[in-house]
Amino acid sequence: MKFNLRKRRFPVIPLSSTSDIGFLLLIFIMLVSLINYRHEVKIDYPEATKQGYTQSKKNFEIWIDRDGIIYYDGKIAAVKDLEFLITDAVQKRPDIRIHILADKNTKYKYVNDVVEILKLMEHRVVSFVVKELNK
Amino acid sequence: MKAKIKKRSFIDATASGTLSDLGFLLIIYFIVIAGFTLNQGFIINLPQKNSTKIVNVEDIMKLYLDVNGDITYNNKTVSYDELKGMIKEKVSIKPNMVVLLKIDPEVVYQKVVDIINMAKELNIDNFSFSIKKDET
Repeated sequence: MKFNLRKRRFPVIPLSSTSDIGFLLLIFIMLVSLINYRHEVKIDYPEATKQGYTQSKKNFEIWIDRDGIIYYDGKIAAVKDLEFLITDAVQKRPDIRIHILADKNTKYKYVNDVVEILKLMEHRVVSFVVKELNK
Repeated sequence: MKAKIKKRSFIDATASGTLSDLGFLLIIYFIVIAGFTLNQGFIINLPQKNSTKIVNVEDIMKLYLDVNGDITYNNKTVSYDELKGMIKEKVSIKPNMVVLLKIDPEVVYQKVVDIINMAKELNIDNFSFSIKKDET
């Protein structure tokens, strides 16, 4: 009787599959970043030199453009609506930090309107977001 | 004469590991980009409602920021650098001095940020600001 001896194959790692994994991971990260998409409003940031990081785990960003229009989550929000939005956000996350991102050329009265609401709600901390001054 | 014709070598793109490198470089790029959205600024502590603090009148330095962004102290317009020097001098004499800034509602936000920045620069512990209400 004659046995057929199989030839031993030389082990090869298929490199072509790693590129697939890489791109799948890329797509995954891109989708995740879309979920956490930050609705930015086009503003000129005020500039300062002695600023610090004010980022918290969860932030509530109030945007004020040059004309004093207030935005939250990319949508225009009235000053009165902010009260409800902030209350809702604070109830969900008590450690949430309020950030005011206002255009450097906006009138201070618009920023003050938001600050007054926070005072009324007895909110203790607010962050004025600025950009580092380019020397 | 016999011309040698080179055989065109076939490159198998799928067999190379360069695509995976590219993929991972893009992942690193996205991770780095994610860090750029960190907010920088000033953390302001808001006062409690109806909270009053008794301060000696002599320990208060009252400043006014007008609509043009000019700072007035003791009815005199002072420059940013002059004010800086004055506050430094006063704080060295009275470390508990309170700097009170009254802001014109029409002033641009950048001017307010400049003063807050200065207060940070000079390490003023008692710095307070509010909008100037009409006294009519």
